[in-house]
Amino acid sequence: MTILVKIFGDLRNKIKDEKPDGALPLNLYIKTENIEYIRDILQKISIEEKDTSHIFVNGVYAGFNKKVKDGDRIGIFSKNQALLYKWYFKREEDE
Amino acid sequence: MSKRILRVNMSNLEAKFEDFPADFAALGGRGLTSTIVEKEVDPLCHPLGPNNKLVLAPGLVTGTLAPSSGRISVGCKSPLTGGIKEANAGTPFAQQLARMRIAAIIVEGKHKGSDFYTLKITKDKVEFTSANKWVGKGLYETYKGLFKEYGDKVGICGIGIAAELFGASSGICFNDPEGLPSRYAGRGGVGAVMASKGLKFIIIDDTGAPGVEILNEEAFKEGAEKLRKALTTHDVTKPGGALNSYGTSVLVNIINEAGGLPQRNFSAGQDDRSEKVSGELKAEEIKKRGGKRPHYCNVGCIIQCSEVWCKPGGKDPVGCLEYESVWSLGPNCGIYNLDDVGELNRACNDLGLDTIEAGGMMGVAMEGGLAEFGDAKKALKLMDEIRNKTPLGRILANGTAFTAQALGVTRVPVVKSQSLPAYDPRAIKGIGVTYATTPQGADHTAGYAIATEIMGVGGTADPMDTNKADLSRNLQIATAAVDATGYCLFIAFAVLDIPEGLEGVVGTLNGILGSNLTVADVPGYGQSIIDVERKFNKAAGFTKLDDRLPEFFLKEKLAPHNTVFDVSDEELDKVWGA
Repeated sequence: MTILVKIFGDLRNKIKDEKPDGALPLNLYIKTENIEYIRDILQKISIEEKDTSHIFVNGVYAGFNKKVKDGDRIGIFSKNQALLYKWYFKREEDE
Repeated sequence: MSKRILRVNMSNLEAKFEDFPADFAALGGRGLTSTIVEKEVDPLCHPLGPNNKLVLAPGLVTGTLAPSSGRISVGCKSPLTGGIKEANAGTPFAQQLARMRIAAIIVEGKHKGSDFYTLKITKDKVEFTSANKWVGKGLYETYKGLFKEYGDKVGICGIGIAAELFGASSGICFNDPEGLPSRYAGRGGVGAVMASKGLKFIIIDDTGAPGVEILNEEAFKEGAEKLRKALTTHDVTKPGGALNSYGTSVLVNIINEAGGLPQRNFSAGQDDRSEKVSGELKAEEIKKRGGKRPHYCNVGCIIQCSEVWCKPGGKDPVGCLEYESVWSLGPNCGIYNLDDVGELNRACNDLGLDTIEAGGMMGVAMEGGLAEFGDAKKALKLMDEIRNKTPLGRILANGTAFTAQALGVTRVPVVKSQSLPAYDPRAIKGIGVTYATTPQGADHTAGYAIATEIMGVGGTADPMDTNKADLSRNLQIATAAVDATGYCLFIAFAVLDIPEGLEGVVGTLNGILGSNLTVADVPGYGQSIIDVERKFNKAAGFTKLDDRLPEFFLKEKLAPHNTVFDVSDEELDKVWGA
């Protein structure tokens, strides 16, 4: 029971025990135990909300309070990758 | 010396300066090109005939010390869309033209025969010389030769082989600060219009130019400083920000994650191989190879989103690989290798092709069986068909719709015959509304100004929400206003979040014009430009039925969202009213 979490840009350097492959995103497969929301994932991989910009859950622009489940694909972008979405769209939240 | 218009008659090779009409005083860039085209060009004329006109105009603040303001607009009746066209570029040429106090160059008439000419403009003289020796040659070699001939301080505007064929996908090429032929007013076949006149190059030498007239120096300086501050502090536009670090290609991974990065001629919205052509990867490669990043397309730009892509060892520089170009020549063709994308982009620059239209064309060519998706070598060979001016090359040079028709392809991603850019409208509905309703034909920049607050819409919208008429209209109006100023559209990110930045923009305009404009005047100004463009298109025969996306977007579901473009016709018609 896992979630695919794709970490982009400078955020990759903040993930302990993982070495990025060149400039490709880091693909983490995270077990769903104790994970209900995006904020839980960030906490688990020790990334602070302020260091992120865009977050996508299965292609949907999402916020920290968006629920996640087994099989989901999450994309998390670093703060200096903010472009477009922040200004166009609202984040989808479940709470 | 006051601002002037340079009117160039190619029928008899005459060029003369005219006074800049007083009622044009507040017009620059797109505002000026569209106004002149609407006023002087018969909407029913043949775009490649003697009655079309090509208008080049720097923005209102271009040529000054205002940051990120080196844009030039090119306008005409488009041979691609059949409607009005404005395409713009950031280039030192724009600044040089503005410093010569030339508000616009109007090229009219048509030279008889097949000769091509160079128009050279200096402080004291305007002269024509033969350009025939450059016909049939690639623009990298040509621009190198022209700088050798005219000196490395001149600015160059020119057309390539694709325009010599009168291809509707040919752009007008301006030099970047390194002298590379890489800054394009690309869209709508503006290159073919220039070629149809018999004009191959405009060379400008601004030695001794008087500079841009500023009527209120204090207001200008104060405004420029406010804008500079906003640009250097905002996360997107500051040094080390998104655009500066990765260029526009930062969007590759973002739009792919959003499920809206069109793959293989718009047959899917996501493919993880796209990560291999991302802005992050490209920035790292440029560093390794000895290219340049960040880089500016015109002197005085703070954002510096540009770059110089090259082969390993810093060899054979191409210029900037923009997000749209990387997408069109990459994922849209099933090509996921930056070296291949770089070489295809080099071919476009060399031939004088709009990269978006060329990539769209290649996508339908692949679907039509001229090459397999992913076959970059064959794609380069198809580019050579254009270079060799073969009958197939003539078809390809005419763009996506023409090529699709020739090959019997029915998935044709165009609006008003112009190829769609790098955001699939089934996943991002608002941009689809802009593609459908802008007078320009499918164009992301027509509604790209991120300006909801400026226009008083407030808040942000769900990308899947189909009620997008108000958002699209307001973005299009704001964009038209920015396109008239000469500022780069990307200043919008900073001026949105930092109110002093927008005040700064208006302040610089007041400085130039000696006016008392306020932020509240921006919407009316932008709307007036759109009104002029729509008036032209209406007279050219366009109706609301032309403001639609192709059928396949309404019928074929796009993975991974598995949605179609479901914005109603009524909603599309609400953008501009009945």
